[in-house]
Amino acid sequence: MKKYFVLLLAVLLVGGLFAVKITMTSGGVGKELEVLKKQLEMFHQQYPDIEVEIIPMPDSSTERHDLYVTYFAAGETDPDVLMLDVIWPAEFAPFLEDLTADKDYFELGEFLPGTVMSVTVNGRIVAVPWFTDAGLLYYRKDLLEKYGYDHAPRTWDELVEMAKKISQAEGIHGFVWQGARYEGLVCDFLEYLWSFGGDVLDESGKVVIDSPEAVAALQFMVDLIYKHKVTPEGVTTYMEEDARRIFQNGEAVFMRNWPYAWSLVNSDESPIKGKVGVAPLPMGPGGRRAATLGGWVLGINKFSSPEEKEAAKKLIKFLTSYDQQLYKAINAGQNPTRKAVYKDPKLKEAAPFMVELLGVFINALPRPRVANYTEVSDVIQRYVHAALTRQTTPEDAIKNIAKELKFLLGQ
Amino acid sequence: MILPTILVISVVAFFPLFKTFYDSFYSFGLRPGIERRFVGLQNYFRLFEDTRFIMALKNTVFFTVISVSLETVLGVLIAIVVHQRFALRGVVRAAMLVPWAIPTAISSQMWRWMFHDQFGIMSRLWEKLGIIEPGTPILGTPGLAMWAIIFVDVWKTTPFMALLILAGLQVIPEDIYEAARIDGANTIQRFFRITLPLITPTIGVALIFRTLDALRVFDVVYIMTRGAVNTETLAVYNRHVLMDRAFTGAWFGYGSAISVFIFVLISIFAILYIKSLRLKLD
Repeated sequence: MKKYFVLLLAVLLVGGLFAVKITMTSGGVGKELEVLKKQLEMFHQQYPDIEVEIIPMPDSSTERHDLYVTYFAAGETDPDVLMLDVIWPAEFAPFLEDLTADKDYFELGEFLPGTVMSVTVNGRIVAVPWFTDAGLLYYRKDLLEKYGYDHAPRTWDELVEMAKKISQAEGIHGFVWQGARYEGLVCDFLEYLWSFGGDVLDESGKVVIDSPEAVAALQFMVDLIYKHKVTPEGVTTYMEEDARRIFQNGEAVFMRNWPYAWSLVNSDESPIKGKVGVAPLPMGPGGRRAATLGGWVLGINKFSSPEEKEAAKKLIKFLTSYDQQLYKAINAGQNPTRKAVYKDPKLKEAAPFMVELLGVFINALPRPRVANYTEVSDVIQRYVHAALTRQTTPEDAIKNIAKELKFLLGQ
Repeated sequence: MILPTILVISVVAFFPLFKTFYDSFYSFGLRPGIERRFVGLQNYFRLFEDTRFIMALKNTVFFTVISVSLETVLGVLIAIVVHQRFALRGVVRAAMLVPWAIPTAISSQMWRWMFHDQFGIMSRLWEKLGIIEPGTPILGTPGLAMWAIIFVDVWKTTPFMALLILAGLQVIPEDIYEAARIDGANTIQRFFRITLPLITPTIGVALIFRTLDALRVFDVVYIMTRGAVNTETLAVYNRHVLMDRAFTGAWFGYGSAISVFIFVLISIFAILYIKSLRLKLD
């Protein structure tokens, strides 16, 4: 006991004498970086002996992934705090500090369950959810009212009907979403798949995508483009920002996008400011609705020194605290991962939809949590995109996805 | 000065090359716990059973043949034009290089927007010319997308080609043409009998540069389509295997084999050119 006490004293002394310097990766989408810098100033006031340096990262998630692959493969001791996409924890788990013992320190019981699930790899906690995302349906309130609809579409069929009627009368597009061959396509596809009653893997991890529901879901996506003609063919090249630009220019009635678009479509330079409503994505034929869980989590580099890891934990606890999540949500428009923040009146005032759609964020579903998710995603991307560009039929696409996934997952 | 030079070259060029060769004979991944196994040439045999690799190989060869041919023909024509004496020739020669001077990552993004189906100026133009139906997403249509990528590559590198060939034109002595004119050779004869043979070595060098570049094309494709709708080239597929799959399984050896394959492919082309054009490298 005495030995530990002396050791502790020594650590405290050394810690007090030499300030710890840690590095952290961060994205810079919208006001993200600016907000983080302010947060770090507050952190430094609270912990004067910890200095934090930001390493800005590229905007695209794929490029960030490549960057981390390089860091980890080389066993880099920097960065210490890692901002990770919600789909990476399983893949990067061997390189992340095990935080299972710090579960209570980070108060993970207070977080949205879906986000905690996404940072749990084989029962181990490897990161802390920072902010969350879920697919939402943006719609033009003014146009829906003009054509006599008093509510957002509740089912996909209703969406098609409204989109057809309004887009034809107004000479604009009906519904834009993300259909380019990249990770975003998987998010969109899963929402159709889930709402039609299908899934990629079942509870035990078995591939179950080869189902009539999956074919119907993919057929519906194809039909949106070529049969109902409510979605422009160009959707096969759209990412989030392409869809947002079209919607924001007033050239579409509906848009599927993440929460980040809210502050942009309502900014002063937006032609549709104040005319936009947000709703949960519509239900499929079976009455299910689903949103894909997105967002970013904070992990700690396993190769960092013990002092750096301690400082990193303090930083993560600080950034994911109630006050800081509220600050981030209000100023950067990024959704809190703590349940309690959604009850805060200040959040309701700044971003009412976040509070109204709490149900969507609570029920958002994670993408398959397997260590080789990037490969799983690549298979889904290739065949879904081939179906959307009519190089293959939805039946064959689903059959091939199932075949390749079974091979990948050794089934 | 020779020793340090050799040292630097071996560290920056030969070591990574050797390491890639070495890795390509193993089955391994970067995830801890994946066993490193010697598999000999197995990775190479697997390449030819991989339909995605074969597709990427076809796409790469198609891209290379078409884009390099177009660039060479256009390059020669442009070089001849700017070889003439006219006002502001210097300015034109400098301005010509602008497409080549813009980093590919940026110009590809710019072109991606210009090919956008909603607000892309190229989409409007191709519609007006009747090449596409209104509303066709050029970069999302199989067949068209590859041509759009070739278009961008030609736009970007023709100036480079033209400039190299221009340098070749400038060293042809004027009196040869004069002698030909006196002998009664017309313009076309002068071009095929004098100009072309004399600039062949220059074209050869330019061809080598361009072909080698085209065979490992990455940024244009990756930014414009990410390899969708049958535009995936070897380098784009190689990135997928080496980066997306780095930690997911024993793919790193296989990825190295693809890299080596690209290297060998490029070497074959280089040797073919050198032999057929009888270039002397020293």
